[in-house]
Amino acid sequence: MNFNGLRLLLFLFFCLPNLAAAGLAERVQEHRFANGLTLLVVERHDSPTLAAYITLRVGSVDETSENRGVAHLLEHMLFKGTKTLGTKDYRQEKPLLEAIEAAGAEYDRLRLAPQPNARRIAELEAQLQTLQEQRRQYDVPQEVAELYAKNGGVGYNAFTSKDLTSYVIELPANKLELWAAIESDRMSHSIFRDFYTERQVVMEERRRSYDTNPDGLLYENLLATAFTLHPYRHPIIGWMSDIDHLSLEKTRAFHDRYYVPANTVIALVGDIDFAAAKALVERYFGKIPAGMPTPPIVADEPEQRGEKRTAISFDAEPRVMIAYHKPTLPSREDYIFDLLNGLLGEGRTSRLYQTLVVKEQQAANISTFTAPGSRYANLFVISATPRAPHTSQEVETAIYREIKRLADEEVGAAELERVRNRLRVDFLRHLQKNSALAHMLTYYQTVAGDWRYLVRYDEELASISPAEIQAAARRYFTPENRTVITLARTGGGE
Amino acid sequence: MKKISYLVCVLSVLLVGCSAPPFRPDQISTPPLHFAVPQIEPIILTNGIRVYLKEDHELPLIQLTVMAPGGAIDDPAEKVGLASLLAKSLRTAGTASRSADQVDIDLEQLAADFSVSADTYALTLDLSLLTTDLASGLNLLQEVLRTPAFEVKRLELARKQTLEAIRRQNDHPQAIASRALLQAIYGDHPLGRTPTEATVTAISREDLLAAYQKSFSPEKLWIAVSGDFDRKQLLAGLEARFGSWPAQQPVPRILPPLVGGSAGVVIHGQKDLPQSVVMLGQVGIDKGTPDQHAVRVMNFILGGGGFNSRMMKEIREERGLAYSVYSHFQVGRLLPGPFIAQCETKSSTTIEALKLMLAAMETIREQPVRAEELHIAKESLNNSFVFSFANPHEVVTQAMRLDFYDYPDDYLESYRDKVEALSLADIQQAARDHLQPERLSIVLIGNEQGFEAPLATLGFPLERLVTP
Repeated sequence: MNFNGLRLLLFLFFCLPNLAAAGLAERVQEHRFANGLTLLVVERHDSPTLAAYITLRVGSVDETSENRGVAHLLEHMLFKGTKTLGTKDYRQEKPLLEAIEAAGAEYDRLRLAPQPNARRIAELEAQLQTLQEQRRQYDVPQEVAELYAKNGGVGYNAFTSKDLTSYVIELPANKLELWAAIESDRMSHSIFRDFYTERQVVMEERRRSYDTNPDGLLYENLLATAFTLHPYRHPIIGWMSDIDHLSLEKTRAFHDRYYVPANTVIALVGDIDFAAAKALVERYFGKIPAGMPTPPIVADEPEQRGEKRTAISFDAEPRVMIAYHKPTLPSREDYIFDLLNGLLGEGRTSRLYQTLVVKEQQAANISTFTAPGSRYANLFVISATPRAPHTSQEVETAIYREIKRLADEEVGAAELERVRNRLRVDFLRHLQKNSALAHMLTYYQTVAGDWRYLVRYDEELASISPAEIQAAARRYFTPENRTVITLARTGGGE
Repeated sequence: MKKISYLVCVLSVLLVGCSAPPFRPDQISTPPLHFAVPQIEPIILTNGIRVYLKEDHELPLIQLTVMAPGGAIDDPAEKVGLASLLAKSLRTAGTASRSADQVDIDLEQLAADFSVSADTYALTLDLSLLTTDLASGLNLLQEVLRTPAFEVKRLELARKQTLEAIRRQNDHPQAIASRALLQAIYGDHPLGRTPTEATVTAISREDLLAAYQKSFSPEKLWIAVSGDFDRKQLLAGLEARFGSWPAQQPVPRILPPLVGGSAGVVIHGQKDLPQSVVMLGQVGIDKGTPDQHAVRVMNFILGGGGFNSRMMKEIREERGLAYSVYSHFQVGRLLPGPFIAQCETKSSTTIEALKLMLAAMETIREQPVRAEELHIAKESLNNSFVFSFANPHEVVTQAMRLDFYDYPDDYLESYRDKVEALSLADIQQAARDHLQPERLSIVLIGNEQGFEAPLATLGFPLERLVTP
């Protein structure tokens, strides 16, 4: 249940050849239920398997300072069973769950008091421990995981990003009804068992992904520096103190507000029949009240008016990330940046790789990507590791030189066509696996508002001229619009 | 069974008038799944190259995978990293008729993905391209396989990148733990060694040429192709490009026998980090191990079955001590692979987490697992078996790999029956035979000052790892 926003976005760079676009447009079958739930189906009968994606249009960007980290913690809580699954007797268990919540809320409140009462806090901690152990007598631990496993499910998982939350599984094709029954139950009747223990798990996840990981730390600092106001600045998982004080009450409120059919897209890809799938989804999800779609957030990142720069001290070899603010889809600039990404950083013939890694050999690795989300204006990021004895500073200088070339000279037609072709063929590759296709469909339906964004993508891309690319490079690749984060050992390395 | 439960439900509503018991998803009946293990028969070209084919015309794409014997197992002790550098050079250092730059440009022109990798026992080339580019792709593949150039400039670039990766090998605590553990398990054996600055610097161009010649000739070459091609045309294309390559006399493969590692120790590497890596392991099993199905099921219950495993339930779910915790038997293709268990936990619970992992291993040795646990593990392995064949390229490369490593002919066909036949006693016996506390090596990477108890209390001899 870990989501790496960076990886997803790397994974999602592609576009659509006309041929495949036409093919996809005909093969995706769609239904919108009365309660607003959207179902997308692609029938594919080669293997008797299916991939199921449920994507909710809510992510960490929809949090406030009152509940940072809740989208991700809630995702964890959806793995704790329901009123029927995961318990021997929910009615008997319920009073204990209530007592645990009361003790936990008191424990959290006291820890924030101006003069914490250490004795009382320790008592509550012990009480919480006892209550949790008592509750365990009713536990059927991980019963959903067990049911899916027994029925041949693989990849039972979930991902929270800045923009959305997805719950995924692949099953033998004859288990569609089992999936519908379990997932509709999870959506409506989840019980957040072991909440205080799971907070600890998420803190361990945070230590693993950020606090002991130089790449995670660098990326987290990049976002926190590049954005002044916009919630994209906060880590999806939350800051440590956020996680440590998230309450059951806030988690439940977030669930009730956002986990509703009006906010949900389901994609089923595999050896299934559309009509039968539609009927099953209607039967199991159709009665859930519609709820309200996630509203747009208010925060509007002010224009950056000067370079931002942070140097991180950490026990690791040097590395550097550089980011530029840019608009998001469906703006024309977003398509232009997909091309800029291909020109600069995709593959061994890309400009940054050729110059920094092959010719000048100042960097061991270099990559470019868009982050951290796509519902709101985002960043174009360049990430590099210098090759000793070269420094991050030398690498930075070489990168700016290469970027300036894009502003000074128009890109040649052949190079541009090569980048477009790469995007087209990579898109085809993403259609090969049921799970990747299900992922793409729910992603674009959620973020762009319509999966047909994919069908129209190639046409838009083909219409972009070298002059437009040059203009965008001039406009966005400026020192004023730039954030630079370096990481190195204190006093050493560089 | 299904009918009876419905009947009971209906009766209870009619007679008592109370509400029916809550509907449970596990009451749903399931239509039968029609599935047979796909059969892929190899085709042998005139000079001995073995070819596995699976057509799939859904998308205009073709994937090719080529395997040849080689890999890190053959690296001399003073030249560790040779196979890996050979793989990088094949990919990046040009051919007799195309410069390294030209290879990259031509591949990008086709939007082809091309990679070469070395693992323990094999060198593998993967090429993915559009249907329309098959001829160009085969031409390039033929050049790389038959006339690699090992251009000095590119070979030196690959070496420099490797050296930089070695400089960075302590950046992630998990990587430190993993290297230390393999070295402890396998000692001074290719399975325990990792490249160093000295060994990578010692590799010459002649070494690469010699390693290339040892691995690549027709009778050693295996090719798997899936996707949108015509079988006859593809075979003709392969014959045309590879048929003139003369086969050599087969040479039997000699493997270095295992040597003793440092079992029964705790190895600590100091890192000033808020979370420790806890990793432990021992020599495990290979593909010839008779009770490998029992080992697989036992490990599913111990730490391989995700949320359904004991380690996950006890260490993560009940105590919140870790985000990730697992155990794994890497089935060695030729020599026994390692058994590894791992988690990461905050400094102040390092010893507790380690002890819980050890206790889980002890319990599965000492007590039979519950019948329900065995049932879940068997059902999971057998019902998810269909996913081994969900993708055409997986189907065809799997068939090739099983033959390449000389698995029994009925390996796939008999897999589910062998799993189904396992008893509680088989599982306990597998645990006793393959999890031995006295043969374990334990690695802890983290801040010792923050541990909740001194390392000495673990009762194992202690070794200190020198990490920068």
